[in-house]
Amino acid sequence: MALQIIESCVNCYACEPLCPSKAIYMSEATGHFRINAKKCTECEDDFKDAQCASICPIEGAILDALGVPINPPGSLTGIPPEKMAEAMAELQAH
Amino acid sequence: MELPVLNEKPDASASGCASHSCGTTDDQLGHLTDEIRAKVENHPCYSEDAHHYFARMHVAVAPACNIQCHYCNRKYDCANESRPGVVSELLTPDQAVKKTMAVAANIPQMTVLGIAGPGDPLANPERTFETFRRLSEEAPDIKLCVSTNGLALPDSVEELSKHNIDHVTITINCVDPEIGAQIYPWIFWENKRIKGKKAAKILIDQQQKGLEMLVAKGILVKVNSVMIPGVNDKHLAEVSKIVKAKGAFLHNVMPLIAEAEHGTFYGVMGQRGPSQDELMELQDSCSGDMNMMRHCRQCRADAVGLLGEDRGDEFTLDKIEDMEIDYQAAMEKRKVIHEAIAEEMHSKRTAKAESAVKHAQEERLTTRPVLMAVATSGQGVINMHFGHAKEFLIYEASPDGVRFMSHRKADLYCGGDDTCGDGESVLQQTIRSLAGCEAVLCSKIGYEPWDMLEKAGIVPNGEHAMEPIEDAVMAVYKEMAAAGKLEQAKPEERATA
Repeated sequence: MALQIIESCVNCYACEPLCPSKAIYMSEATGHFRINAKKCTECEDDFKDAQCASICPIEGAILDALGVPINPPGSLTGIPPEKMAEAMAELQAH
Repeated sequence: MELPVLNEKPDASASGCASHSCGTTDDQLGHLTDEIRAKVENHPCYSEDAHHYFARMHVAVAPACNIQCHYCNRKYDCANESRPGVVSELLTPDQAVKKTMAVAANIPQMTVLGIAGPGDPLANPERTFETFRRLSEEAPDIKLCVSTNGLALPDSVEELSKHNIDHVTITINCVDPEIGAQIYPWIFWENKRIKGKKAAKILIDQQQKGLEMLVAKGILVKVNSVMIPGVNDKHLAEVSKIVKAKGAFLHNVMPLIAEAEHGTFYGVMGQRGPSQDELMELQDSCSGDMNMMRHCRQCRADAVGLLGEDRGDEFTLDKIEDMEIDYQAAMEKRKVIHEAIAEEMHSKRTAKAESAVKHAQEERLTTRPVLMAVATSGQGVINMHFGHAKEFLIYEASPDGVRFMSHRKADLYCGGDDTCGDGESVLQQTIRSLAGCEAVLCSKIGYEPWDMLEKAGIVPNGEHAMEPIEDAVMAVYKEMAAAGKLEQAKPEERATA
């Protein structure tokens, strides 16, 4: 049972000091923060919500044990995903 | 020293101006106590005339944030303190101290070190306070400032007061949770992500509490607000009143910057920023309540130099690594230079006061006010080539005198390199950024922009190179008045009439 931080992490450091299990580390190999699966408890005994996923500002950067994003597209920014797709398509067209 | 107030007259309110914020530019600080004024009069971000002489720098030591703002995309720096879409080089406290001392030794005009991001400085207390603690010890001649969204502020006031930090900026966009919920989608509070009105209320309460605690400790507080048309534009006059009543000494209203390519909520959802006119109107309506700061540049979190310039490239990590800094020697050199600048500023202020008296004795014009753009690289004089100006300072000339209004960014149309091929369209953009101005004053200007400016109804003027800005603007205004140009309506009024 462990969460994962994936490559969309922007290295903002917000999660690192919050982790009660000291499971979050900067990976030299990937250049972004990662979670040590052996240490991660998903904050079970410490907090109601997983701390890293509660402060992370990047949608999709943290996955649960099943590999599902805890903060799916639109959940943090409030931008409806279809609106974001529209804006990106518009920008690419130029 | 009592500073002159040019248009302190009963009907000042008719033009939307309150006596304290108009007239000559430096009287923006006129309402302050001597003690506060002494603290801010050489601060480039607070004193309009000091910003022509002194430089500031930011160090990006604070990456984490504890809230989300709709004008921010966390892939980039904080859009409030910085331009969106830029990423600062993140420094450790040790690197930040080294960089600060390297800049201070090489740019003696640098008097202010700020921590403003790229996240929220107080959401990174260890990194932020380590930097402040070491700089207070190792470079005591540098003023320290910090900006915050306010959420963690009440918990930080004690620590801030230990490090002898006398300027704190709080970004307060609202005092009403209904409005706050349209600006802040969530906050991280007591180990939970909280959304909606509840989140906004906690943030607002913390901001107000932090403001009160800082004032009680005698720490200067500036309030920044981002003007978001249709969201908080009507509300900011009330914010201004409240923060002033609680003891903030300056209120700085900044325009929302929102483009789809920034990937922010406002950018993608098509929320527009305010026009120059809307911004100036709000700044005017708030200035009756509060001193405003019209020369703010929303500089990026690792900006270095005079406001409006960025010399950060000269002080990258690999470059400062090789610099040997003898800070004791640098501090002595800095002291001499600071004294010379203070002397020069004093004589300029005196001269300005004298010309104000002279102006008051002359026959009063009855002409309409005019906006003029000025190209300057500092020292309060017109000393920049039109094509080299990265920004223009906008002044209003009227029978009451000359006052600083705002700055406008220009796109550099001539870099003197192979980008010149696209020159024309960028020049057109630059000219568009000067909309509403009727003259532009610079040290020199080429034929092509001269023609285009004239066609756009803006009179180019290179005749006042190296002259003090206010004197030159008034001279051009009088020439326009004498030529009978000011009896007719403004060009755009004619167009829309």
